[in-house]
Amino acid sequence: MRFRLVLLVAVLFVAISMGGAALPEQTVWSGLLIATNSPQNEPTPAEVTKIEGTLRRLFGYSQFQLIGEARKTLKTGEEDWLAKSKYFSLKVDSRGEKANAYALNLQLFQEQKLLLETTAKLSKASPLIIRGPQVGDGQLVIVLVVQ
Amino acid sequence: MKTFEEKWTAWIDGQLTGRELEEFLASLPDKAAAEAEKQSAKQLGSLLREQAVALSNADFFSHQLRERLDRESGPARSAPDAVQTGWWTIRRLLWGGITSLAVFALCTAVVLREKTPSSQSQYLTEILTYRVDPTVSPNATISMFQPKDERVTVLWVEGLQSLPPEYATK
Repeated sequence: MRFRLVLLVAVLFVAISMGGAALPEQTVWSGLLIATNSPQNEPTPAEVTKIEGTLRRLFGYSQFQLIGEARKTLKTGEEDWLAKSKYFSLKVDSRGEKANAYALNLQLFQEQKLLLETTAKLSKASPLIIRGPQVGDGQLVIVLVVQ
Repeated sequence: MKTFEEKWTAWIDGQLTGRELEEFLASLPDKAAAEAEKQSAKQLGSLLREQAVALSNADFFSHQLRERLDRESGPARSAPDAVQTGWWTIRRLLWGGITSLAVFALCTAVVLREKTPSSQSQYLTEILTYRVDPTVSPNATISMFQPKDERVTVLWVEGLQSLPPEYATK
């Protein structure tokens, strides 16, 4: 009878541990932005409003116009997706989750040309910002955020 | 030396005499009430003696009386037995509940502690590798940094070829 009680406690322990360890699905937002100082035509994308001040301080531009985006819900943590505008595309290949961060391989293309390739561990609490090429009187900025 | 109760009983039975009787009567706080009680005790004794004579089958009466008492007190005794039927007694359920809550609290604490990063660096995104194609961007340089007091990670690329404004189209 005592064995039954021990068994019950063990089952509860395992169930609770597994339930607690399971992480919820999360979405990674990837955006291609053009930073400029021209009069505002479009509002800043909601996904970057939290870091808008940081972007202004970093780049010295006041406006951030979205030219391409992708939103991917990660279920296994090993998915890939593409955020693209007319001339630029960002290919993201997620290679799993570890220690509260997603291992990502990023490739930035200008049409067919590979401009930049990087691997990063994208933290759920810290966006990744990439400074791209100068475009006209503005700047291409890439932002990745775990939502 | 007799106690007050022993003297009282002896007085009611008429067995207290002489100096002992005088002393006992003197010790009574209310002599009239004591006399009244003595009379009623004597009457009760007489009544019981009369009934005992009339009751010829005393053993049978005693047996019947005991059975009736058992029947009347039976359900009260069986209630706890019913509650204790099976393995899950109230006590065990209570202990099971307390144990489960303790295990839940322990697991929650462990899971929360595992999920809480121990240092600021674990919060931030890390850049592991980076490269630009030297044939496409021969003058490009890359640096990475985490601005102070900002929870972002920046990959700063300089020297990429500047592009005309139409590249800013969606």
